[in-house]
Amino acid sequence: MKVIKTTACVLAAVLVAGCDGTGLGLDNRGDKTVDRGLDSKDLSQLQAGIWIDPNGCDHWIIDDGFEGYLSQRLDEYGKPVCSGSAPPGYAIGNFKSGSPIEDAI
Amino acid sequence: MKTFSDTARTVTAGGIAAILLSFAVPQMVQAHDDARIGPHVHRTIESNRKKITVRGERYIPTIWVDPDGCQHWVMDDGAEGYMTPNVNRHGIPICNRGDACGVMNTDQLFASDSFAIHARGRRTLTDFFRSAKASAFVIVGHTDSRASDGYNMRLSYNRAKAVAAIGQATGARVVDIRGYGERVPKASNATAQGRKENRRVEILCIR
Repeated sequence: MKVIKTTACVLAAVLVAGCDGTGLGLDNRGDKTVDRGLDSKDLSQLQAGIWIDPNGCDHWIIDDGFEGYLSQRLDEYGKPVCSGSAPPGYAIGNFKSGSPIEDAI
Repeated sequence: MKTFSDTARTVTAGGIAAILLSFAVPQMVQAHDDARIGPHVHRTIESNRKKITVRGERYIPTIWVDPDGCQHWVMDDGAEGYMTPNVNRHGIPICNRGDACGVMNTDQLFASDSFAIHARGRRTLTDFFRSAKASAFVIVGHTDSRASDGYNMRLSYNRAKAVAAIGQATGARVVDIRGYGERVPKASNATAQGRKENRRVEILCIR
C-alpha cells in the first residue's frame, strides 16, 4: 500500500512539474530561445504547416510537443497571404513532425 | 554573486532599451532583483510631466525563419510557446527571399498611359505563368512619379488587372490584384533610369 502511495505521489509530482514547467529542468526562466525538456532543441529548427483562418488567410502553425505556435504569413508588402491552399478552418502540411513527443490533443 | 550578475545583465539590457527609447522621451531605468519575480526593470518615463513606472520581466526572443524566408520572434516559456512575425515599424516583414518571382517592366508590356497589353507582352506573360511553379499569384502594379498620385493609383491597378487577366486565361490562380501607384518606388524618380525601374508590375508567387 505504501509503495503504491509513494509511486502515485512521485507520478503526480512529475505530472504537475510537467504542467508548470518548474521541475525536471523544464524551467525556461533563464533562456526562452530554446525548447527545454525531453525533446530539447533550438527554436529555430521548428517545422511549420499552414493553417487557414476563417477569412481564408494563411498562418504558420507548429505543434512542437507541449508547445504550439501560430504566426501570420505575410507578403512583401506586409499584407496577409491568402493562398487558398485549403478551405478556411483547415491545417495542411507536416507541422506535427518537429517533436518525437506525441500529444494527446 | 548570482544576484550581482543577473542585475548586471538586466542593467545592460535596460541600458540598451534606454538608449533606444531616449530618442522619444527622457527617462530613468532602475533594474534590480526580486526573489518573487526575478530580475526586472522599473522604468520611469517623464513625458508631459507624467511619471510611469513599468514593472517588467525579461522575455528575450529568438528568430524562427518560415519557409518563405521571413523572420518570426519566438519564445518558449516552459509549457507555453509564443510567436509573432518580425516586422519593421511600417509593418513590412523582415525576410530573405530575394526579388519578387516576376518583375515585368511595364515599358515592355504597355504603351505610355495605356493598360492594354501588346501582343508580344501577352506571349511573354503567358509563357511566364505557364512555367512558374506556384500555387497562387498576387499581381501588384507600380508607376513612376510623373502625373498625379490619383492617376497613377488608377493606372497601376488597371495594369495589374490586365496582367492578372492573362494569368487567369492560362489557368493560374490569382488571389489578389493591387495598384500602389508611385507610392512604393524601387529606385529614385530623379533619374530616367530610376523612373524606368519604377514602372513595373510585380508578380508574387505563393508556393
